[in-house]
Amino acid sequence: MSDKSVVKSGSNLERVLSSGHFAVTCECGPPKGADVELLEKKVALIKGCVDAANVTDNQTAVVRMSSIAASSILVKNGMEPVMQMVTRDRNRIAAQSDVFGASALGIRNMLCLTGDHQSFGNHPKSKNVFDLDSLQLLDVVRTIRDRGVVNSGDPVQGGIKMFLGAAANPFADPFEFRVIRLAKKIDAGADFIQTQCIYDMKRFRDFMKMACDMGLDKSCYILAGLTPLKSAGMAAYMNKNVSGITIPEEIIKRIKGAAKNEQAEEGIRLLLDQIQEVREIPGISGVHIMAIEWEDRVREITERAGLLPRPLL
Amino acid sequence: MPMDKSSPGFLNTIAGDALPTCSAACPVHTDTREYVQRVSMGDYEGALDILLEVNPFPSVCGRICHHPCESHCRRAAIDEAVSLRMIKRFIVENTRQYRIARRKKAVQVSKDKSAAVIGGGPSGLTAAMDLALRGYKVKVYEKDSKLGGMLAHAIPRYRLPPEALAEDIEDILATGIEVHSGCTVGQDISFEQLKKDNDAVLIAVGLAESHSLPIPGTSGKGVFLGVTFLWDVANGLCPELGKRTLVIGGGNVAIDIARAAKRLGPEKVYMACLESRDEMPAWKWEIDEAEEEGIEILNSWGPKEILEKDGAVTGVRFRRCSSVFDAQHRFSPTYDDSETNTVAVDSVILGIGQKANLDFLAGSAVSVNGGRLICDRESMGTSEPGIFACGEVMTGPGSAIQAVSTGHDAAKVVSHYLETGKLLKLPNKKVLDIGELPAVTAANARHFDRVCVELSDPAERIKDFSPIEPVYTEEEALSESRRCLSCATGAHLQFPNHCAGCLTCVRICPFGVAQVRRTAFMPPQQCQTCGLCAAECPAFAIDTLRFPTSAMKTAVEDSVSALDPGRIARPFLISYCCVNGTTSRKYLGEQSAEEIMESGILRVLVPCVGRLSMADLISPFELGADKVAVVSCPEDGCYYPRVESWLDRRIKRTQKYLDQIGVGGENLQLFNMEGSGDESWPRIWEKFRAVNLETAVGNL
Amino acid sequence: MIVADPKPFLQVKGYLEDFQKILVVGCGTCTTVCLSGGEAEVQILASGLRIAFGKDGRKKTILEECIQRQCDLEFVEPVLSRVESENIDAVVSLACGVGVNFLADRLGKTPIFPGLDTTFYGANVEQGLWAEMCAGCGSCIIAHTGGICPVARCSKHLLNGPCGGSEKGRCEVDPANIECVWQLIYDRLKRLGRLEDLRHLLPAKDWSTASDGGVRRSTREQLYDI
Repeated sequence: MSDKSVVKSGSNLERVLSSGHFAVTCECGPPKGADVELLEKKVALIKGCVDAANVTDNQTAVVRMSSIAASSILVKNGMEPVMQMVTRDRNRIAAQSDVFGASALGIRNMLCLTGDHQSFGNHPKSKNVFDLDSLQLLDVVRTIRDRGVVNSGDPVQGGIKMFLGAAANPFADPFEFRVIRLAKKIDAGADFIQTQCIYDMKRFRDFMKMACDMGLDKSCYILAGLTPLKSAGMAAYMNKNVSGITIPEEIIKRIKGAAKNEQAEEGIRLLLDQIQEVREIPGISGVHIMAIEWEDRVREITERAGLLPRPLL
Repeated sequence: MPMDKSSPGFLNTIAGDALPTCSAACPVHTDTREYVQRVSMGDYEGALDILLEVNPFPSVCGRICHHPCESHCRRAAIDEAVSLRMIKRFIVENTRQYRIARRKKAVQVSKDKSAAVIGGGPSGLTAAMDLALRGYKVKVYEKDSKLGGMLAHAIPRYRLPPEALAEDIEDILATGIEVHSGCTVGQDISFEQLKKDNDAVLIAVGLAESHSLPIPGTSGKGVFLGVTFLWDVANGLCPELGKRTLVIGGGNVAIDIARAAKRLGPEKVYMACLESRDEMPAWKWEIDEAEEEGIEILNSWGPKEILEKDGAVTGVRFRRCSSVFDAQHRFSPTYDDSETNTVAVDSVILGIGQKANLDFLAGSAVSVNGGRLICDRESMGTSEPGIFACGEVMTGPGSAIQAVSTGHDAAKVVSHYLETGKLLKLPNKKVLDIGELPAVTAANARHFDRVCVELSDPAERIKDFSPIEPVYTEEEALSESRRCLSCATGAHLQFPNHCAGCLTCVRICPFGVAQVRRTAFMPPQQCQTCGLCAAECPAFAIDTLRFPTSAMKTAVEDSVSALDPGRIARPFLISYCCVNGTTSRKYLGEQSAEEIMESGILRVLVPCVGRLSMADLISPFELGADKVAVVSCPEDGCYYPRVESWLDRRIKRTQKYLDQIGVGGENLQLFNMEGSGDESWPRIWEKFRAVNLETAVGNL
Repeated sequence: MIVADPKPFLQVKGYLEDFQKILVVGCGTCTTVCLSGGEAEVQILASGLRIAFGKDGRKKTILEECIQRQCDLEFVEPVLSRVESENIDAVVSLACGVGVNFLADRLGKTPIFPGLDTTFYGANVEQGLWAEMCAGCGSCIIAHTGGICPVARCSKHLLNGPCGGSEKGRCEVDPANIECVWQLIYDRLKRLGRLEDLRHLLPAKDWSTASDGGVRRSTREQLYDI
């Protein structure tokens, strides 16, 4: 179990959260290749708007620049990364090795994930690893950080500093188990949580109520995940095809109600409403804005939400 | 393609010694299932062979047997019994030439012992024939001019025309027995003489005389004894009946009397009996037919007096019969004298039962008690060594087929006696049957209406003695034969070692019959022989006893190997056809090699094509077929539930496979016949053969 | 039971192009039960091969045999002698991969080819449908999961509960055909009143007992000197 009073890595994100500020993170997906420029352009768009940016790890099992390398480029460019790491592609040897490397490169936040199944990506014929699940990865990294030993028990040369995150999906099934799973992740070492994107606010409130009743917000920072809808089509697609996401009818109606060229703006207005809503939910410490391929609107979003300027700590 | 002509009795492997209920119920244990199955495959001659194996009177039985087989038919649990007697009659009437051709030549007398049979009825003749076949010299003494006993004289012609009886008797006489007809033992030749001349004597005199009634008025003019009456009718000596005739008695003979009387022209014919309607000993169908003919039945009346005036009958006075049987079900009528009834009639016929005429035994050592011959039922011996009895004189009133049965038994005991000088105690026949069709199995079976024939219009038929029942047409006989469940000839685990207990049989069985007890087990009493389990068994460990597809495969191979591939009309079509679709023998017979080559069509008849496995569907292509047609029943017409959908899946899988192996899935097709096979098969064959003629050639 | 599926016909035929006398050997145990390698399938494949090669104008001898199990020496020996005595050029096995290997190890110079794709250890959950139930990992953990195995039945082999792809009891990898095993586990433990079992973290699993630990053997000391 994480103790909020103990500094884990001293990252900007950790400092923002521990000082009681409402944190803001976003996503910064690496390119499908070694195009550093492309990545740096994205960084420029979000710099100063968020406290840290998640660097995805071959998201949806599509091959991209490694999250360690991309995170390192973010560090160089003055943007704090939350390095994502999935257990799909690496066993415990590779995972621990990568954690050492990441720490050495100045990466101070990481998000431990199991990862999307490779059948969704561009290499469905590949073999997966899943030596560890996300909880076990948290546990393994936390043990290196806090006890100075690798999973086998061998001592680590030189410690690592890592603020450990995990994902939570309050909308997947079985619903009653979702809070238990959150608690398990916190037990396994999660210092912060970023949730799956929230559309069903009622269900999210129920989830947070259960989490707070269990005192989970006391030992972990919970960032509410939000994704702006660019169009009614996107809303319908996500509702139908992305498992674990249900978009309530009234939201789809709201976007649909706007004229075709107004739908994106309506999506942003919805997001702004959602940001205000989640800010008022007890136990929420920040927002994680997943503006998919919409990094150029992050500044506008954070601006209009009144989240700027970001604190400099 | 050759028919499956497995010999009767072949089923013992799966049902133990238990007989199907039809055969078990038959006094001579006719292999009913087998003759019906032979009919269904168009083998009427083979069916007749089965009939004649145990019964020298198939023509008679086809007409008048009380058919205990039908009464015990397991199909009744599903809908109605199979009309076995009608099938039997169809067989006999459609194999006359064959019957004459197969008629046994007179058997050479090979033993130096001889037997005399007194009485030329069904049991005496049966015994005589059996003894003759065993090589003994046999002499039959019949008091009448005609053979047949009660069959010849007591059964009216509208039920049993003399020609039918004659056919059976011809067969029997052909064995070479010596017949002395018109020879009454005790008058024309003494019993002592018979004893002296022969090594054994069999008394088979039947119950040829009617009982009279111990009431006043029975000797008056206008009172007839039943058997005498029937005899006169049979011999064209029309007894003079008044306008209103009453028959006393409630048994089958009484019904015959009443119906015969009706045909002699009285305005009104009554039957009166002690029994209530439900207690009447006559067969229900006979009672129904009698009523159709306008005969009025007065139940629960006991005759008290036959009223006369001036020596002529004027009526019968009855009193109410309150019960016929006592608690032990013995005949012990009680009456209520307070209720009486007088029926005004001018003729009365007594049909209350028969007795034997044993006058010829007077003075002999053969014991008779109260008019009944003393006879040991097990050894069939009388009180005097070498003198035996069979038929109704021994058993009391019974059926023709029962008389035949005792005739067979008598031949056994008499020949044993002739060989050894000792009595043979026949074991008490305890026939095991396979039991009723369990209700759960019956509930899963499909219903098919019994093929019924219409009797002549009652108003017409009472005008004379013409036969009232038409014989089945071929189509009707085939159709009815296919209602037979062919009990206990179904699936069995032929290769127990191959069974992996995979449960496919259990899951696919439409009747919920198959089980796996380590290995597959299909209770023979329950299996309905659809063959699905055999077709789907991944180990090919299951086969059906009736029409095993393994045998079919060999037969197809044999048929094809007799062909010259170069001379076969292309495309060469092998057509599996459901035998149940045929309405004649047109396509049931064997095809000659010439015929196959000329037509380019080889027919393979299968009792339900659902039993064809995927290997069965592929193998014709290996044998050189260009196309394979599977012709099943008309849509939803299959005798078995759910077979169609399983077969459809199997065909689809096979078609895909044929595509892969380069044969082309389209060359295997499933067809539903429309109407009968005889009509629709040629259309299907022609159409299918016409498709892609150019690509179909050359699969050899 | 081991489940295996028939290989595409042309693949099997392709293996056999160069051989003249070919023996198709079925297996009377698992692959008979899963309807892919028993006597019936032997006949179907052999018949198919004869027809297909025949259509190519090449007459080959295709022989058939089905034995009780291809993974035991005593059962396999008659096949080995037959191959020897009848000068068989190639063998096609309709056993699982175990049978093919076992025969290959003993067949000397005669090539053997698989006729099936061996898939998994599974159960016959419905007529004609088999589903994976065990992954043979060598250290069973299902005492903690209500007897239901997430190693075999979770698409990601997760040991600590369902991922975010569990929806209405189905797995996002193929919702139509895959159940979310964690939903099953959850429901079962709930029924058993043992949901508390899921509260504890299952640490990183020891995979050394699975094939990751090297090729495995299993011995019985009462019969074998360890």
